[in-house]
Amino acid sequence: MRDSCEAEGRRIRRWIHFQLPHSYKKVGIWSSLLIIALMIAKRFVAEPIWAKPLLSSLLIVAMLMVSLSKEKIEDEWITSLRALSYRWAFVMGVLYALIQPYINYAVDFILGSDQPQVDTGYFPVLVFMLLVQLLCFHQLKRTS
Amino acid sequence: MLKNNLKVQRAIKDVTQEELANLLGVSRQTINSIEKNRYVPSTVLALKLSEVFGVPVNEIFQLTEEE
Repeated sequence: MRDSCEAEGRRIRRWIHFQLPHSYKKVGIWSSLLIIALMIAKRFVAEPIWAKPLLSSLLIVAMLMVSLSKEKIEDEWITSLRALSYRWAFVMGVLYALIQPYINYAVDFILGSDQPQVDTGYFPVLVFMLLVQLLCFHQLKRTS
Repeated sequence: MLKNNLKVQRAIKDVTQEELANLLGVSRQTINSIEKNRYVPSTVLALKLSEVFGVPVNEIFQLTEEE
């Protein structure tokens, strides 16, 4: 039982420390800029129905690439800054997802929309992120 | 709180932040952050610093009375 817990801890650590080489950072930045340019450009032409979801997904992948790329010198200070920035991103993301639907609702209401709605589409992603964080934390704490 | 006299130790040894960073395999910003007390280094890095300057760790880093 203890061995399997430790193996699980090792697996989590291996995944947590996964990073792309530094060169991927430039690829990610240029891809993001290109995708944003395409998103703007598609407003002026008749866009196919699949363009918006495809470009949105590609933008997320490109930004994730930037986020996961190593710095030129990846030392302990960079690791601590990275952990801090992920923590902030996580908390701000949750707050944004909780508040934004109500702001949309208020704007719809003020603009006199017939059926203002509170969109809770973020809910599954938030629950998944929080579950992963809690499970990882619990497992790492047990095996450290 | 932890304070340090890294800048003094650097001056004694006459090494720049960049040179010290290269010796330790970290970035110049890391050395700068430690000097400005914005970042507390790991034990490993503190020991490496002590080795480079040839002084004990507690001669470079000291706890202030706040803690």
